[in-house]
Amino acid sequence: MTEHHLRIDPAGAPRATILIVPPLFEEANRTRRTLVLAMRALAAQGFAALLPDLAGQNDSLVALEDVDLARWRSELAAIKIDGPLIIVSVRGGALIDHAVQAAAWWRLAPAGGASLLRTLMRARVSADREAGLATSLESLQAEARSAPLLLAGNRLSPAMVAQLGGAEPQPVEPLRTVALGADGILGTPLWLRAEPGEDAAMAGTIADDIAAWSTTCGIG
Amino acid sequence: MGTGIEGLWPFHAGEKTVTDRTDVDATLRALLADVLGLGEARAAALTADSGLFGELPEFDSMAVATVLTEMEDRLGILIDDDEIDGEIFETYGNLLAFSQAKVTG
Repeated sequence: MTEHHLRIDPAGAPRATILIVPPLFEEANRTRRTLVLAMRALAAQGFAALLPDLAGQNDSLVALEDVDLARWRSELAAIKIDGPLIIVSVRGGALIDHAVQAAAWWRLAPAGGASLLRTLMRARVSADREAGLATSLESLQAEARSAPLLLAGNRLSPAMVAQLGGAEPQPVEPLRTVALGADGILGTPLWLRAEPGEDAAMAGTIADDIAAWSTTCGIG
Repeated sequence: MGTGIEGLWPFHAGEKTVTDRTDVDATLRALLADVLGLGEARAAALTADSGLFGELPEFDSMAVATVLTEMEDRLGILIDDDEIDGEIFETYGNLLAFSQAKVTG
């Protein structure tokens, strides 16, 4: 199965290719517009920027319940790029970015898998309570051991739930990890937003920081 | 940037815990602004009686879940499923009282 890739090329030969590993589930939708703005800014600075669909996400024809973190890791690792490659991962994307052969990594606000899973399960508990159903985090954990679990519109397999529960960003080299705030990227945590938004200024800052990191790593 | 001002913004430094009551209030307002996209003015205008869940259209079940996880991260607390009932999210005052009890408790 071949997934769609959004690719934005610079005017000439690229300095390097930036592979964006997007956040997972709903966070991908909330951040997509701003990430694509960052890709345009990167292309203006001479980089090729690539945003692949993860299987089961965005426009993919694969059912999400047939996918787990291990599959995402190996599909990303199979992407072939000519020239130097820099991995840019955001939030849960940092959980699946380490199997790729790359010249450098750049992570924005990496998230632990357990925290992402907890939020999804809480959304289900909250929605169930409104509907008068007595669901709990414990009952959902138990259910997820034997059957796919529907969490905030995402049908997750037992393997996915188990892998997410234990997933942490893995060490890679060379790596720059950036948080939001005065010491990192100034901007809005769009991945938390209940309604879609964009932050063009943050997209520009992201592109500048990645370009500077590329230079620091001697890539170009 | 070693200006010393970082200490005033404990919620930007993961390991530090918010202990002061005023800090809890500021952290909670910033958090609701981030999750609900309220903007600084609307977040600052929240009073104890301001309605949240059921009143703000942005405050759906996913937003409730996101707020709970962010409260844990930014306030350095753990929230048990059993502690949550509908009343906590009825008003800003209820949510603030719950948070302050968790932080000092």
